[in-house]
This record gives sequence, structure tokens and C-alpha cells, in this order.
Amino acid sequence: METRRDVFQAIADPTRRQIISLIAHKSMNLNAIAEHFEVTRPAISNHIKILYECGIISIAQTGRERFCRIQPKNLREVADWVETFRELWEQKLDSFEEYLNALHSKRKKNGKAKRRRKSHIDTKKNL
Amino acid sequence: MEKQNDAENRTLTLKRTFNVPVKLVWEAWTRPEHIAQWWGPKGMKTKIVEHNFKVGGKWKYVMAMPDGSEFIGEGVYSMIVTLEKIFSSANFRPMTEGVEIQAIFEKNGDKTNFTFNVIHPTDEYCRQQEKMGFYNGWGSTFNRLEEFVSTL
Repeated sequence: METRRDVFQAIADPTRRQIISLIAHKSMNLNAIAEHFEVTRPAISNHIKILYECGIISIAQTGRERFCRIQPKNLREVADWVETFRELWEQKLDSFEEYLNALHSKRKKNGKAKRRRKSHIDTKKNL
Repeated sequence: MEKQNDAENRTLTLKRTFNVPVKLVWEAWTRPEHIAQWWGPKGMKTKIVEHNFKVGGKWKYVMAMPDGSEFIGEGVYSMIVTLEKIFSSANFRPMTEGVEIQAIFEKNGDKTNFTFNVIHPTDEYCRQQEKMGFYNGWGSTFNRLEEFVSTL
């Protein structure tokens, strides 16, 4: 089941990545695209549909032909592929921050207890 | 479109302010017993295989997926300035290789300003990786990781 429709879903599949690079520089019709692959035409058609739903390509009907064209604006997200790692790192830093805060409150508690014990001993010493 | 500085284009920058003094941030970021606790997503075990915290020293952390596959992060420290910054080369397999990571710590009273840079290799290098099927690796890895995390 594929319900996610964004640029990352679009490029998650190797065939779809190949389709993208195939039509990156010139628009092609479905048959021309299918000729480049060994999988069946309906399979390619389905990939095209997903790419369309992900906003990666536009489809223009010219007579009986359907031309697929890259939508560079949306693909930029991938071209800017450095950004694809952002989410992963944000998650790591979230995890770090959460751990850090827990560690900090633990230390604060222990620190206070220690200081209390210490001042208690100091008071005793002073007596 | 404006032409950006190349290095800037290749750098992913994350900034945070932690409500924790810099000393503790440094400790949690650099000590293996802490790293094992936060490096992986929740519920995922991280094994600290190597942690030689000095310039030229190697680090290697391994996260094991339930299906037996592993995420490996490893690198070599290139600069360490205590309580200030840590630079290191890094490979994250099977996702991205040949990056430099920079963790920069800045005291801000009782808080800490933290900057994290991931500097990716040049476009040329990336294209080469792409040719070598690099994208195949990280595409599916991302999906698996996401699937796994969403089940937690």
C-alpha cells in the first residue's frame, strides 16, 4: 500500500528514479518511456501515476499521446538532497535534547542532595 | 535563482539552544555511556564499538534493526577543543558517506547554544555515489527506518 505522496516517496523506488532521470531533460510519452524498461507497460504506467501524484511530473494530453514532463520546482527538493538528511538529524538532536534534559534534572536532584549532606557534615564539623 | 556559495550548498546546519549548561552538554555528547542512550531512535539499541575521543581517534557506533540489518556510523576526529567544538569525518552506512560533521558548543549563561553542521561532499562525489547505486541504499533505508520508528 502506497499512500504517501511526496517527493521522497517518488524517489524511493529505483524504477521511478530511472524514469525521472530519463525525462529530466526532455518530455516523453508513455510508450517511449516504457521502451526503456523491461517491466510491463502497466507497471510503468503505475509508476508514472505515482510520480504524477507526488507532483514530480505533469502529464499533457496531445491527441492520443500523453507526454510526461518533469516539474523541476518540486524536484528541487531532491536536487537539494542535502536537505533530505535534515529530518534524520533533527530526530537525533531531539533524542539528544530529551536525554540531556533528563540527565540535567537527575544531576540537579543528586547535586542538591549531595550539597545538603555536605552542609550537614560541615555543620557537624564546625561544632 | 541566486547562486549560493558551494560549501554553503553542501552544508546542512541545525541550531539549538539547550536549557543545560555547556559542561553537561559536552559530557552527554562525548561520553560513550551517554551516547549509547541517545544516538539511536527510541527503542533502538546502539552499540559503541569504538570511541577513541582524541584527534585522529576513531569512533564507530552500530544500531541494529530488528530484521538483522545494521546502521553503521563511523569516523575519525579531526579537531577537538574542549567545551567548544568537535570536528570529525563521518560515514553513515548505508546512507551517506564522506561527510564532515561539526558540533559547536557555545556557553550562553546556564544554557548552551549548539550548532551542528553536516558538510556533504562535492556534487561530483555525490554523482559518483549515485552512479554506484548509493541512492538505492539510502532510499530503502529511509523507508525501513521510518517504518520501524512508526511502529514504536
